[in-house]
Amino acid sequence: MPVTFTFGEMLSARSVIGSTLAELGDEHENLWVLTPDIGATLVEFRDKYPQRFLDVGLAEQACVGIAAGLAYDGNIPVVSGMLPFLSMRALEQVRSDVCYPNLPVKIIGTHGGLVGNGGSTHYAVEDLALMCALTNMTVTSIGDPLMVGEIIRQSMTMQGPIYIRLAVGKKDRVLYEPGQHDVRIGKGIVAREGTDATIFTHGTVVAQALDAAEELAKDGHSVRVVDMFTLKPIDEELISRCAVETNGRFVVVEDHLAYGGLASRVADVVADRNIHLSAFERLGIPQVYAGFGDDEELRNKHGYGLEATIAATRRAIAAQS
Amino acid sequence: MGHMSLTTGGSPHTVEELKELAFELRSKLLHLCGTYEGAVHIGGDLSAADIFTALYHYGLDVDPTDIANPARDRFVLSKGHAAVCMYIAMAMRGFFPYEGIVDTYGQLDSAYGMHPCKVHLPGVECSTGSLGHGLPLAVGMALSARGRGELHRVFCLLGDGETGEGSVWEAAMAARSNELGNLVAFVDRNRQLMTSFAEERVVFEPYPDKWAAFGWNVVNVDGHDMADLVGAIDRLPEVDSKRPTVVICETVKGKGVDFMERNLAWHAGSLGAADLERAMAALEASRDKESV
Ligand SMILES: Cc1ncc(C[n+]2csc(CCOP(=O)(O)OP(=O)(O)O)c2C)c(N)n1
Repeated sequence: MPVTFTFGEMLSARSVIGSTLAELGDEHENLWVLTPDIGATLVEFRDKYPQRFLDVGLAEQACVGIAAGLAYDGNIPVVSGMLPFLSMRALEQVRSDVCYPNLPVKIIGTHGGLVGNGGSTHYAVEDLALMCALTNMTVTSIGDPLMVGEIIRQSMTMQGPIYIRLAVGKKDRVLYEPGQHDVRIGKGIVAREGTDATIFTHGTVVAQALDAAEELAKDGHSVRVVDMFTLKPIDEELISRCAVETNGRFVVVEDHLAYGGLASRVADVVADRNIHLSAFERLGIPQVYAGFGDDEELRNKHGYGLEATIAATRRAIAAQS
Repeated sequence: MGHMSLTTGGSPHTVEELKELAFELRSKLLHLCGTYEGAVHIGGDLSAADIFTALYHYGLDVDPTDIANPARDRFVLSKGHAAVCMYIAMAMRGFFPYEGIVDTYGQLDSAYGMHPCKVHLPGVECSTGSLGHGLPLAVGMALSARGRGELHRVFCLLGDGETGEGSVWEAAMAARSNELGNLVAFVDRNRQLMTSFAEERVVFEPYPDKWAAFGWNVVNVDGHDMADLVGAIDRLPEVDSKRPTVVICETVKGKGVDFMERNLAWHAGSLGAADLERAMAALEASRDKESV
């Protein structure tokens, strides 16, 4: 069943995952779905293809290892769960069982960033740093709920593994009209055009960056927003182009540790390509265990909320050339 | 109780008193679940409420006014999602004011969140929430006590679903290998995980045999029968004995509220004001039924 929506509406990315996998099960007879007891969104697939659904219970390590075993035998396994546990408990399985033999295992999950109010055991805030470090891994972080379906589809034909990160996935703002952008793994999306500065962002805070750009437009600032939903391989050409087209002013905002995530990926490109910048502002989670609170409160408390994004962008624009 | 007592605040409770306390704990849990806007892991709180009561008001030798006393019994909440049940049980035992929980639960900078944090909430022994971590922590504490010749116990509460994690069995093996008779695990055997019932997707049986095969002393109790729980605590082997003990508590997820019992929809959730009344009425009714 196609998902219908209106622009700006709230949609559950989890429901998109559920319906997409159920559809893909028809097209790909070797598609398997596995979960360590986080199966609520997978019911549609489970009921349609009980033979290709596996809930292992509380056993993240075995879950990823079993997925690798299935992939060795020519299957396309999708592991769906909560990212703090998939990216950390099962890290060695991801690295040595999946990435090392370069198997087409897809890891998709929720709780990327300071979301869900579960406390630090339940926030995946180091996951992108860990996943980007793994050879062969493609790393994505998705904000637009409909895009999740598109990325899962595209990943079906990939040779190697992919990591797909979501926030809570229960209520996400639809950011793009279908067909509005050419969504391709490895290519950043210019979500809003601008010439005074670029905000690079991904995942749940893309919406916030768009709000910041809108706010800054009221003061006559033209701010570009790039949804860099693929962190690895990163879109180097787009980064180079933004440096030229937005006056060498970069702001990076992400729901991840400020060091080790997108900001670090962008900084690597800047260094490697010898790109000249006039400003580089980095907003993300500091090196603290963040505590409790709702998503927005935590972003504000830790310095990467809407106000902080606006202020950092103003600083970048005002910086001396 | 065989060991020394730090306990302030009166003699150990009778079984009847403990039942009253468990009822109060459940009422307070429902109140929170009805007033807090986010989800509360009410199913696994209610299944463990009698265990928490038996531990905090009877089994654990702790002094709420002296939380760092080295001779205290340690309690490790391995099923960290039952944090709020622990917070309330601890508040009822005098560790901190209950109002603090009701007024701030889940809010920015609160000490009381979905999973326990030792740094934010002194009195809590360990920061937990990711399943499969508690038993190894408890083994470390029990080893330390042994090394120092101390005679307190280390208690650990696990979910049965949680025992799917390999780390639980790694720790179980280490506990037996190191002859930790001062270690006591309670398993909340409510036969439900988050999204399935036990045996449906994951086969746990023969469950007690698994622990026995790892060399543990296995005790089976009705986890909602206070006399049974108290009896198991009374009969724990000597602290300086060699086998760790597991008390497998047969329970019902959502216990006490008929529409939550054995219902996968109530692993976690929130009650509105109207459903809170309904839940309270169900809790009263279940008590009446029991006292007949
Ligand atoms: C490592 C890990 N994986 C997943 C979760 C999410 N989770 C929280 S509770 C739960 C089900 C636990 O079942 P069980 O241990 O039986 O607890 P109970 O039924 O007593 O609540 C899951 C999957 C988690 N907290 N930690």
